This record gives sequence, C-alpha cells and structure tokens, in this order.
Amino acid sequence: MSHRVRQVEAIANGTVIDHLPPSTTLKIASVLADHSDQVFIGNNLKSSDTSKPGKGVIKIANKELSTNVLSRIALLAPEATINIIRDYKVTAKGPISVPRSFTGIALCGNHNCITNHDECTTRFHVINPKPLTVCCAYCERNFPADELTIL
Amino acid sequence: MSFSGRHIVSIKDLSREDLIVILRLAQQLEAEPQPDLLAGTVMGTLFFEPSTRTRLSFESAMQKLGGSVIGFSDSSNTSAKKGETLADTIRMVNAYTDVIVMRHPQEGAARLASEVATCPVINGGDGANQHPTQTCLDLYTISKLFPQLLDGSAPLRVCFAGDLRYGRTVHSLLNALTHFHTELLCCAPRGLEMPSRYIELAESRGIRVEHNADLQECVHDCDILYMTRLQEERFPDPVEFHHIKASYRLDAQALEGARDHLRILHPLPRVNEIATDVDMTKHAHYFEQAANGIPVRQALLSLILGKCTPEGTLLKTTAEKGKGASA
Repeated sequence: MSHRVRQVEAIANGTVIDHLPPSTTLKIASVLADHSDQVFIGNNLKSSDTSKPGKGVIKIANKELSTNVLSRIALLAPEATINIIRDYKVTAKGPISVPRSFTGIALCGNHNCITNHDECTTRFHVINPKPLTVCCAYCERNFPADELTIL
Repeated sequence: MSFSGRHIVSIKDLSREDLIVILRLAQQLEAEPQPDLLAGTVMGTLFFEPSTRTRLSFESAMQKLGGSVIGFSDSSNTSAKKGETLADTIRMVNAYTDVIVMRHPQEGAARLASEVATCPVINGGDGANQHPTQTCLDLYTISKLFPQLLDGSAPLRVCFAGDLRYGRTVHSLLNALTHFHTELLCCAPRGLEMPSRYIELAESRGIRVEHNADLQECVHDCDILYMTRLQEERFPDPVEFHHIKASYRLDAQALEGARDHLRILHPLPRVNEIATDVDMTKHAHYFEQAANGIPVRQALLSLILGKCTPEGTLLKTTAEKGKGASA
C-alpha cells in the first residue's frame, strides 16, 4: 500500500515557488520573505521519479509576489515555477518570466565597477538564457546570474 | 544613425557603417585641415588618472579645429578628492562645456557620465574596460596602410601578441575588426590568452581565429602585428615573467624573413617588448599610429558636435558661408 505524505505544509492562499535548485532555495527565501510572512521551506525534496535530483519548494501564505521580487527569483532560479494558490487550489501556474534586463536588484561582481563606488543603480542585460548569464551595463563584464549578490 | 549629440562610450556602440564614416572623415580632415570648424565650442577634459597620448591628442585635435579646452589631468586637485560623486562632477562640468572627454580608473564610469550629461561624452578609457577612440585610431592606421580593409578585396591577417587576456586595446580592436574581412591570429603566453567570449564573437561573425604562442612564427605569418605590453603584476611567479618577457621581445633580427609589407603597431607606451632597433625598420609604424590620434579625434569631435551630415560630409562653417555670400 502506497503511503503519500505531503513534504511541505499546504497553504490555503498564497504563492508556491517550485522546482528551485537546492543551492538557491535558502537564498531565495531570505530575499523574498519578511519576518511577518508565514513561510514553509522544503529543500532537496525527491519527486516520485527518484532518478531526478532533489528540488526546493517555498510556500508563502497570503501573499502574491511583486514584479520586483519575481525578478530577483528569476535571476537566481530562472527555471523555477510559480503557482498561485486560492482556497487550496492552484489557480495559476507557469514558469517564472525572465526579464531581458534586471535593474537595481543585484550588485555587480566586479569590485572595480563604478556601480560599486558611485551613486548609481545597477543594470544587467541578459546575454544568454541558459545558463542565465548577464552583462553589466556599466563595466560590460559578464556574470553567471547565480553568482551575483542579490539586493 | 546620426552622430550629432551621441556619446562615444564603447566600441560595441559603433556599427561597421559608423566606423567607416569616422575613418573617411578622419582622412578628409587630415588632407584638408579645418581650423574654424569648432570655433566657439569648449571641450572639458576630465582625466581622473594619468594619460599622455589620449589627453594631448584630444586637446590638440580640438585646438586645431578652432575650439578651446578646459579641464584637469590630476583629480587630486578637484572636488573628487573632497568626496564629490562622479555624477555630481559631470553635472557641473556639463554646464561649462559642449563635450566631455574623460578617463577614469573605474570600469563603467563613462557610461554613468553619459547617463548624467546632456552634452556628448567621449570615453578616453575606463579602467580595464573600453577605450573606443584608441580602437578608431588603430583602425584608421590599418585602413591607411591596407585600403583592402575597407574595400574587402582580400582578407587582412592581423596578429595580436602579448597580454591578450587583460589588454583592453586588443579586445576592442578585435571587436571592431570583426566588422571587416580579416583573419585573426592570437599569440599569447599561457594564462594570458584571449578570453573565449572574444573568440566566440569573432567566430559568430564568420571570422577565423587561430592561436600560436610562438611569436617568431607569428611574425612571418601576418600583415599586421599588434604588440602589447606584458605586465609583471599579471604573473604570480616573477621568474616565469622574466622568462616569458624574453620570449615576447621583438627585435630587428626577428623580423628577417617577415612579409615585406608587415607593419608593427603598438598602443604605446612600450617598455621592452619592442627593441629600439625595430624603430629603424620599414615595419615599425607605432609612432605614426599615435599621430593618427589627431585626425581620428578631430573626426569624432566634428561628428558628435553636429558639424557633419550623418554620412560624414562636413557642413560649412560660418566663415565659409560668409565668404560664399560676399563672392
């Protein structure tokens, strides 16, 4: 007899971020949730297909995410999926949208970039979607997106 | 795309057509000096770090066109030393000048300046990133030596030698050359090879890139040899640096058997990678290359200050119009 146990608590309303690479789950949780949120985090979860690598899941109760927060998640985990939950039902589901550029959400990894020294909002252009690679609009250096420090 | 009011920040901002307009106008200005073209305009030179050729050639170019120059070449005497942000310095200088030429030790500084200024900004070097006017003068030098660069009648074989990993001049020139019919040869010691993103860029534009770490072999296998300086701080082991430095030194003897038309370029300053006995050979062309900074920078100033049509045809100056009316 099969015995299915929910690995992460269900939420009545809110957002589920699924299919996160385990290395990004905790980082994403820290950038998107504040102390008043009810958050459930699962990491290295195995699906029924045990040949697949583990994944991360974050559930935030009673909250739908802003475009700015979604951009931050996209930068760290471009293959994540977003599920909107209402009354325990998935009302919308889809891959996260990766914008063509990211403004003001990450620090440039080049210590000698002017953005790390002067009054300036960082801006990165996507130059390669997979693996997600971005180019700083100021110093023109390329970076794997998951190596950037998220603001 | 019209040049009037445009910023010149990165070589990536210039198309093949833009580059051709700049080169043709430089040729025209060299042949027919225009001493009144920029009369009444002021260029601000903001050199936050030392420069010899770039600053002096920009100032000379502006003065030969009738314009004037204000600025500084030592930021320790400016408000930057008091903690003023670059953005504020640019806002202030913007009010005093018609065009800003700047060099700054931090990458991206010229891009930031271009977003703050309402007058055009020319990047005279931002850290290890870009130096687009050096690239334009390199390209102008090559096009004067080898007109086939522009007419595309035969491929031009260009060898980059030295520090290809950190040298901004070779990165920008490679980028520009990929717009033309060229074959590229990279000659670098281990650890200082051309970054793969530049190789991929060239290959994506159908340009073949070869690699050969032996400078002696490369000398015999190219039309242009573009030498760059090896910097000791790039080598963790000083013994290795001195060993490699010896193998990347070009002297007159090494040029025996080179193609008759081989020309050697160098962005300067050279240290000891080119022996002084090369200066006397027909192959040396680096001082002429530095001199070409004047017509190229004149062309850029004329274009962005709106003294030319988008195709690069010079507009008549007020003095010339007056002469025409009285005749």
